[in-house]
Amino acid sequence: MRVIDEKSLYEIALELVKRSSTRIAPDAMFLLRQAYQREKSLAAKRMLEAMIRNAELAAETGKPVCQSPGYPVVYVKMSPVIIVNANIQKVFQKAIVDATKMGYLRPSMVHPITRRNPGDNSGVGVPDVEIEISPEQDYTELIISFKGCGAELANVVKVLTPAQVGKDGIGIKRLVLESVIAAGGVPCPPVGIGIGIGGQIHQATKLSRKAIGAREWTDTNPDLELAKLENELLSAVNSLGIGPAGVGGNTTALAVKIEMAYTHTAICPIAINFHCWVARRSGIRIYSDGSTAFKEDMYRPPI
Amino acid sequence: MSREVILTTPLKSEDVMSLRVRDVVYINGVVYTARDLAHIRIAEYLKEGKPLPVDLRGAVIYHAGPATRRRNDEWEMIVIGPTTSMRMEPFSELLLGRLGVKAIVGKGGMGEGTQEALKKYVGVYLLAPPGCGVLQAKFVKRILAVHWLDLGMPEAIWVLEVSNWGPLVVAMDSHGGNLFKDVKEGAVRKMHEILKSWVVLQ
Repeated sequence: MRVIDEKSLYEIALELVKRSSTRIAPDAMFLLRQAYQREKSLAAKRMLEAMIRNAELAAETGKPVCQSPGYPVVYVKMSPVIIVNANIQKVFQKAIVDATKMGYLRPSMVHPITRRNPGDNSGVGVPDVEIEISPEQDYTELIISFKGCGAELANVVKVLTPAQVGKDGIGIKRLVLESVIAAGGVPCPPVGIGIGIGGQIHQATKLSRKAIGAREWTDTNPDLELAKLENELLSAVNSLGIGPAGVGGNTTALAVKIEMAYTHTAICPIAINFHCWVARRSGIRIYSDGSTAFKEDMYRPPI
Repeated sequence: MSREVILTTPLKSEDVMSLRVRDVVYINGVVYTARDLAHIRIAEYLKEGKPLPVDLRGAVIYHAGPATRRRNDEWEMIVIGPTTSMRMEPFSELLLGRLGVKAIVGKGGMGEGTQEALKKYVGVYLLAPPGCGVLQAKFVKRILAVHWLDLGMPEAIWVLEVSNWGPLVVAMDSHGGNLFKDVKEGAVRKMHEILKSWVVLQ
């Protein structure tokens, strides 16, 4: 049994916040470079080039990738033998407040009604934390994801009836394409699209955020049916021609990621969650011998 | 066929008239930032007959709120990126018609009123790459002046000297061309094709 105390958790949290604000995840970077090779139109190519160059410059200079820091969610997958003995939410909030004072994050968190800004990204519920126990894991994993909020404005949540789902889920696929078209250039494409299906509506929305916030954008869904649907939707979305920054082109999305839960026979809740191209995500694994490894340092692109 | 074009400020009507949607533009010269509050104050000053601190004939307006730093009596640019242009839609007639602005740079496109004004007064709307704050700051060679800093750092008018600032994509031109409209119409057509093919497969 290994116990991670408050002090070591704070150090980890601060490092994850700094890493995720100054560089984008290597899987998203890989997909951006691949998209650049594939794009034909001049305007689309130039937009992708600017995005890649900007991400490289931010990493080199330690400046924030985008002036707007997004909203933080922390995903914890805890091994029963490597446990965190601290208030994870409080420790991450302190790391976020301290990183804000150091200039890594623009103060952007406000009261939802009065819009009062405390000036340091503190506030009730910031960051959101999801904890799950994974009995089979020999490591404990923490991932932080800052998702931009312009993209949030394009999100869609809906509870479909079985008739609306239709044969082979055609109603779901149609809703995704319609949402992408309605979104246009607003969510800063090329986007990542997280789709949560099933449960009740709160599960669908949580799954949609986790699908695009915690998973690597080049991974393959272990559920073969979902993997097939992800590929089908990705190619359909990219054939719409919206393109990088909405200027036209064949790269509208870098990834489509789907998570599902069984639902009630009367309903099909669905949440479509847009992520801008700025994939600010950093993760760490803590092993039972106390050694650690950052997920992005272990990343290998698909062959 | 789209082209790459380098322009120098102040812009002339001929410069703008040659541009078509999808062209990629790079700008040399002087650029003025203005977002919500600066636009509101410009409108107030004109109404009250007060003089503006800047001459906007042939000017390039950038919908952006920079993060800057004061160092040894000089302003230094840290990051700057485009903000959503649609919020400034009510002011297009005023800027393009009355003040002689020739180019508006921002994010997400603008509305019918702007499209009309661009045609009537020969102007262009350009799209800056979103989420590229560090890169955009690199094109700023010098901050020449700042006006109305009492509105707050992002909302003030920053006068920037830029060199080869781009890529900026022509999204609305002076001939009625609208890139977003074209892209959207194409996407809707394509969606119907895809949906049909899915139904046939069943």
